[in-house]
Amino acid sequence: MSRGAFSGWRLEPLADVPLRRRALAAASALTLAALLCGLLFLAAGANPFLAFAALVKGAFGSWRTATETLVKATPLIFTGLAAAVAFRARLWNIGAEGQVFAGAMFAYWVQHGLAGQPMALQLPVVVLGAMAGGALYAALAGVLRTAFRIDEVISTVMLNYIIVYMLSMLLLKGPWSEAGGFFEQTAKVDPGSILPALFPGSRLHLGFLLALAAAFLVQVLITRTPLGYEIRAMGSNLRALQVQGTSTVRIVLVVMALSGLLAGLAGATEVYGVHYRLKSGAVAGYGYAGIVVAILGGLRPWGVVCAAILFGALVNGATYMQIATGVPSALIYAIEAIILLFYLAGWAASGFRLRRAAHVR
Amino acid sequence: MTDAPPRLEIRNLTKRFGSFTANDGISLTVRAGELHCLLGENGAGKSTLSSCLFGLLQPEEGVVLVDGRALSLWSPADAIAAGIGMVHQHFVLVPAFTVLENIMVGTGRGLLADRKAARARVAGICRSYGLALDPDRPVSQLSVGEKQWVEIVKSLYLGARLLILDEPSAVLTPQESERLFVILRQLAASGIAVILISHKMREVMQSDRVTVLRRGRKIATVDTAGVTSDELSEMMVGRRVRPVTAAAAAPVAPAAEPLLSVGGLRLALARGRATAAIDLELGRGEILGIAGIAGNGQDELLETIAGLVPAEAGEIRLEGRPLSGLSAQAVAAMGVGYVPGDRFRDGLVPDFSIAENLILGAQWQKALRRGPLIDAAAVQARGEAAIAGFAIAASGPVMRCARLSGGNAQKVILAREFAKARRLLLCNQPTRGVDVGATEFIHAELLRKRGEGCAILLVSEEIDDLLALSDRIAVMFGGGIAGLFRRDEADVARIGRLMAGQGAGQAA
Repeated sequence: MSRGAFSGWRLEPLADVPLRRRALAAASALTLAALLCGLLFLAAGANPFLAFAALVKGAFGSWRTATETLVKATPLIFTGLAAAVAFRARLWNIGAEGQVFAGAMFAYWVQHGLAGQPMALQLPVVVLGAMAGGALYAALAGVLRTAFRIDEVISTVMLNYIIVYMLSMLLLKGPWSEAGGFFEQTAKVDPGSILPALFPGSRLHLGFLLALAAAFLVQVLITRTPLGYEIRAMGSNLRALQVQGTSTVRIVLVVMALSGLLAGLAGATEVYGVHYRLKSGAVAGYGYAGIVVAILGGLRPWGVVCAAILFGALVNGATYMQIATGVPSALIYAIEAIILLFYLAGWAASGFRLRRAAHVR
Repeated sequence: MTDAPPRLEIRNLTKRFGSFTANDGISLTVRAGELHCLLGENGAGKSTLSSCLFGLLQPEEGVVLVDGRALSLWSPADAIAAGIGMVHQHFVLVPAFTVLENIMVGTGRGLLADRKAARARVAGICRSYGLALDPDRPVSQLSVGEKQWVEIVKSLYLGARLLILDEPSAVLTPQESERLFVILRQLAASGIAVILISHKMREVMQSDRVTVLRRGRKIATVDTAGVTSDELSEMMVGRRVRPVTAAAAAPVAPAAEPLLSVGGLRLALARGRATAAIDLELGRGEILGIAGIAGNGQDELLETIAGLVPAEAGEIRLEGRPLSGLSAQAVAAMGVGYVPGDRFRDGLVPDFSIAENLILGAQWQKALRRGPLIDAAAVQARGEAAIAGFAIAASGPVMRCARLSGGNAQKVILAREFAKARRLLLCNQPTRGVDVGATEFIHAELLRKRGEGCAILLVSEEIDDLLALSDRIAVMFGGGIAGLFRRDEADVARIGRLMAGQGAGQAA
């Protein structure tokens, strides 16, 4: 019988993958991704070393750029946590995108009538409103799943479309459109509702501290509370949990709501911390990027924070890189995808080893 | 001995999985016309060895010769070409195909090609071993025993001169397994070498020679006629084994009213309708054994009582209070423990530690909480207590359950469910796939629990175990109770007939 040149080699799955091996895989994935990005820079006609240097300088070169990186990371921390919480329970909430919109819209809806009121009233309304909006919108997908067995992947993706066009409708000659404006956006929000800056002269706002607090609370929730226990159990063996009489309907609803609540906060930080208006451009894209951030962060809250800062740095640094070296900043989205693909490949590969099968003679 | 080379010769076969050596330098010969038994506990390396022989695994070292010719076994196709056949524990048949189609499938000659010749050959094989198999019946209509015949005929059709059977009687009634041994004897008489993997002593003693494996090493190959089953057990386990029986345990005084009473219970079976309603009573400190072939409603009976699936009709009462309609959580809260049959699917969260698995279902309990958080120290203490109390072989309470062996995983479940079972314990095949040492331990624990006054419903496919442990034995068939015996009146032949659905009747 003829056999290929590699017939003597077999891929064997490892029963247990040591953390060392995972770390090595992640490190080599990042290195390879950087090499490939270097080639892309080269193809774009720039010196890769200068381009990387510009990227880093643009992201962390000064106090101002570093805080700006954290501004960009803030919504990604929230959406990354949203995806991580759901994915840990094997609930595939792809709807953080729509839940960010829902959070921003609900916050605006409950806040915009309070213009002129003191900050002490408006800020809690904004934060709680965003949480409620995201949670309710995600819970809708949870209800569809538990009551009608509609797969949450489908329903959350569809709900994303609905809310995006709903916002468009409200802004385009709708009740929320800016009086006399041409753009699809609301008027500027009341100054009393704006998330205060943490340092004078910087755009870094209270939302970043909220994001860190959220990461801490999610960490405690997942590792140390009964609900977190159920989330982890559900992610590993749903059936064993059911046999013990735990209601998975309750867990699905609670986890979806929690995931949406976190995503909704990203809507509040962008509208009330960065753009000061509700418009599609202020909130779009963070939900999908959050999925990537969650996976890169290993579905762990502090990992999500690190991955979000990395992505914030890439977006922030890219602008300076374009100015300094002419590499188009849009290339950054290719870099994000390359990092994710190498990371996933490395993760999968670290679960196997290559072995030469002994020939039985 | 003749000069002809042995049918199978294995020289120094070694198979490793990482740092674990599953087969360590095993040498073995099997003669043509011999019924050779591979005996060993779970994890002793029997299945690994047979997988190497059938080309499913490739050993690191060693030589395999069939009729004196060295083989390269890269895949089952190589093994079949070399005349090696294998009957797996879980049959590999297409239910919608007929017997003939199942035999012809994968012979590389297509389904249409020369059905006539194939039919004639299959008929010839059946005739020579006295098998009444209709080649045109769909396999889905066959009994389990008949399906096994199809597997055997299929191997012979493919030209097997060496037939490996992996725990063939695990799914059979006592009568069916007797029949199987008659067939295996005939196969051997016609010159085929038969390798039988088993840990049931009653079957092992019917072989010509026995090779005992322990922890991946060959302990010895002996002539069966020259040893007793006790000696074989000792070789297999490495120490003397004392069987645990209820007869030795102190009897528990019966209470006036039954602890569990089941009346007119009609089970919702996975396939088909239950043939009869179930009436049962179970007293404090009593073990009621449920005998039956897998799939006759045993799983459904336990799941229904545990509150996991609703019954079609009927009533279940625990100390007079109705259980029907309660959630699984509410049933558990009344002091009912449930040990599921499929322990890794239903009983454990593989990514959780031993300690975490021990609180599964109890994660909200006040005793395990400190404010809103789970009390890690209390959970850890529970884990340590269970590891000590149930002799779980583990590095510690934080060891992941996915890494535990079947026996130790089962002990984790038992530790959890025993704690819950203040009144009633539902136990589905607690010792399936568990080694002799752990089986001994689990049986002793069941009797200890019985001694504490807990009522136990014990489902098992091992009649010997039921006879040893139960106060009474019920036989299930088609979702109903086909017969009920006190232990001292139980008769294996009668139970076997009832398991097969022949002759109903209440005896006790």
